[in-house]
Amino acid sequence: MQTLTDHHLTAVTCPACGLLCDDILINNQLQNACAKSVTFFTQPSNIVLPSVTGKPVDLAVAIKKAAAILNTASNPIFTGLSTDLTGFRAVFHTAQKLKAPMMHMNAQSTWRNTKVLQSKGWQTTTLTEVKNRADVIVCIGSDMISHNPRFFERYVWNKHALFTDPQARDVIYLGGEHLNTHPGISPTGKQPTILPCATKSLPEVTAALHALIQHKTLNTTVVAGIAVAELQALAERLRQAKYAVLIWVAKALDYPHAELTIQNIIESVAALNEHSRAMGLALGGSDGDTTVNYAHTWLSALAPAEHDLTQHDAMVWINSFSHEKSLPSTTAPAIVIGNSNLHFATPPAVFIPVATPGLDCSGTLFRVDSSVVLPLKKTRESALPTLADVMTKLDALIT
Amino acid sequence: MITLLKNAKVYDPAHQKNGVKEDIYIRNGYIVAKPSDTEKINETIDLKGKVVMAGAIDMHSHIGGGKVNIARMMLPEYQETLKYSEPEAHICGPHCTHHATPSTTNTGMRYIEMGYTAAFEPAILAINARQAHLEMGDTPMIDKGGYVMLGNDDYFLRLLSQKADQKTINDYVAWTMHATQTIGIKVVNPGGISAFKFNQRRLNLDENNAHYQVSPRQILQSLSRAVHDIGIAKPLHVHCNNLGAAGNFQTTLDTMGASDGIPMHLTHIQFHSYGAEGDKQFSSAAAQIAEAINNNPHITADVGQILFGQTVTASGDNMMQHLNSKLANPKKSVIMDIECDAGCGVVPFKYRDENYVNALQWAIGLEIFLSVEDPWRVFLTTDHPNGAPFTCYPHLIRLLMDKPFRDEAFAKLNLDAQAMSNLTSIEREYTLYEIATMTRAGAAKLIGLGDRGHLGIGAAADITVYTEQDDKEAMFSKPSYVFKDGELVVKDGEIIKVVWGKTHTAKPTYDKGVEKGLKEYFDQYHTIQLDNFKIDNDEIAEDGRNQVINHTK
Repeated sequence: MQTLTDHHLTAVTCPACGLLCDDILINNQLQNACAKSVTFFTQPSNIVLPSVTGKPVDLAVAIKKAAAILNTASNPIFTGLSTDLTGFRAVFHTAQKLKAPMMHMNAQSTWRNTKVLQSKGWQTTTLTEVKNRADVIVCIGSDMISHNPRFFERYVWNKHALFTDPQARDVIYLGGEHLNTHPGISPTGKQPTILPCATKSLPEVTAALHALIQHKTLNTTVVAGIAVAELQALAERLRQAKYAVLIWVAKALDYPHAELTIQNIIESVAALNEHSRAMGLALGGSDGDTTVNYAHTWLSALAPAEHDLTQHDAMVWINSFSHEKSLPSTTAPAIVIGNSNLHFATPPAVFIPVATPGLDCSGTLFRVDSSVVLPLKKTRESALPTLADVMTKLDALIT
Repeated sequence: MITLLKNAKVYDPAHQKNGVKEDIYIRNGYIVAKPSDTEKINETIDLKGKVVMAGAIDMHSHIGGGKVNIARMMLPEYQETLKYSEPEAHICGPHCTHHATPSTTNTGMRYIEMGYTAAFEPAILAINARQAHLEMGDTPMIDKGGYVMLGNDDYFLRLLSQKADQKTINDYVAWTMHATQTIGIKVVNPGGISAFKFNQRRLNLDENNAHYQVSPRQILQSLSRAVHDIGIAKPLHVHCNNLGAAGNFQTTLDTMGASDGIPMHLTHIQFHSYGAEGDKQFSSAAAQIAEAINNNPHITADVGQILFGQTVTASGDNMMQHLNSKLANPKKSVIMDIECDAGCGVVPFKYRDENYVNALQWAIGLEIFLSVEDPWRVFLTTDHPNGAPFTCYPHLIRLLMDKPFRDEAFAKLNLDAQAMSNLTSIEREYTLYEIATMTRAGAAKLIGLGDRGHLGIGAAADITVYTEQDDKEAMFSKPSYVFKDGELVVKDGEIIKVVWGKTHTAKPTYDKGVEKGLKEYFDQYHTIQLDNFKIDNDEIAEDGRNQVINHTK
């Protein structure tokens, strides 16, 4: 904890997952922090010099080397993109200048959601609506808390709600593996409903649920191990709900064409909304992925897409938030701009340590449910340059 | 540094100048009086044969915030036809294929190329205001500002249902403007966005929200009074109930009476001027609406003209957009409930002149433009991108100024729609003075931008110079010169310098005690801290390319 500032800080935003809990208190110790939050706020303040192929150099030398690589590359890519809005704006500017594509480290899972948006659209809600309104919550393919540890604490078993009795909520887990369903038990002991199936069976299970919501009849009694009668009961519970919320985490739906599962969920919501009220909600999120997704979209008018990293002759990998994320394997020279605690099996061509937003410098991030954008505070002293500082200097050397 | 614009033919309705020959002097970004003979004129531009107006102000255009960004994300197919390198792409035809959701950069660029120097985002969700300012901060060339949405947020509806006194409401409204850095208050489908969350599907003016047991009329009374009491210039910006529904004109007429004579602005009124007559039970009620505007001096309106082609509609009105999503083209849409604050609905539309309803919508908008007598009380909008992209404005201006051109377009419409419109019987052609009124002087007056929208001494030097032409679409598409805060930024339709505009706000006073109730509410029901809800000036201005202007007197 000695790395935290001595000052008393309130309303601190935690960027460790997509929920962006902003009720963190720092007063020599952390309050309201989950395990991910503690890991984030207590990561060592490691002052390291930039390096070129592992040899320590001055910042100016490292930037010059990075510029030389980029100026000779014919097809560079900017990836990782784990940063906040200010950092991303700076990266975007230089990437545009180089006509280089940009891809966030979570692009594969984000793209599952984007594909559904671009083919069917969606009907979704946000966390404050869940907290105050949801009477039925269906967690599809995930326990939520392994991605968003405080989900149940903050939005489900809250003390106060405007339009519903939080303790009376029905929680249903539909599919997924190795789930921790304990947080789904209400503080008064009300048990969740668990409808287990393998994650890879979710396409057929969600398709069956969609059909049942539309009052269609299935010519079977069991779907992927779940009795149709149980799915029928779920469909009926959803139809009767005052405000049902169907939640998924795209990263947890890790199988080919998972977007079709998400589409089943969205179409189930749309069918329910013909007569009653229901909404979908995509959770998860990390490393500024929502921020990059949104800012890339308004700056270029297009959502960022997936790219094949092997097709590029230089890679800039940006990773500000977490030293646990590892550099993707590449044969192209890698320029790493990121967290000062990063370690490499093989030293990259260039490594430039930068400030982590929300820790070493202030910043701005989007919450995973969109709409809500929160400021990040500087929570400790640091001499590291910001990503934007580094990009501005690098940009000046791009010809 | 003094710049002289010589021999200008000035259209400046704020000073009743209707084509007056004048010289204009610019110094340090402002229009100044003729300097003394000893002062050096650094640059002189001879504007012989040119028409000079203040920079145009779009008082209602969805340029920032979540809805339009969702539209961008949902509609990658729009981008594939993007070829702005072709100069003719800037001139819109009746089947204008301009891209409806440009990037923030292109938004600023396309506006300034047409001589627009400011645009106002009319539907900022309070909870989403930070995003709106981030996007507007990335929009170059023009000034920005926004109206914050109230009237469907649970905090306000609770106050109203608990019969809170007007002072409490006023403090909350003023506090919200500070917190969200906005210049006006908007209400969208009063009470209806909230009602949809309780599974109500329509809400009429005197029908109660099922949970709060308050009606849209009460919401309008309370908010219009608050806006009046806190003393901001911009009247309450009202998107009426029943958007787009056949027969909705009666709701619109009744809404005009809901504020007891306190000024209200009814936005994109074309979408609220529909009768239910005829075989198809969809007809024009433009005459009734225009007559009511003419007879109610406390009412202003912008039209929200539709033009034919592909666009996308983005609205806070998720109740009505959920109904409209059945008509989506292409078939996809986004409907969201947001943060006990509001909602949104994004539905792509393709307006077609051979379609009866679309053709009549087109005619209704023009009928309203041409039947409202006072150009100070009607504003030129397409509700970008909802009726059409803002890049179609030059085409719309020609429709208003050129009756033969209008009649020619009318003749191509669906025949049944032609039979239901009296458009060809309206002889009126807008004058340059009237265009300058509704796109400059009137808009600045409405919003309360004292030093914009006119060319008087002390005005900010946002100036547009056109070459007078018979083809008004060509004339308004490509100004000869555009000055932004005194700097020449567009020459012969080409951008020659990139600048960053300002953010206009109003910050009326309020009782600081209002935060006590808000703090309790946020702590109990919200999911963020009250302190993080509020946006500092520094967040908007920190990168040195923006500046917050406070217009509170």
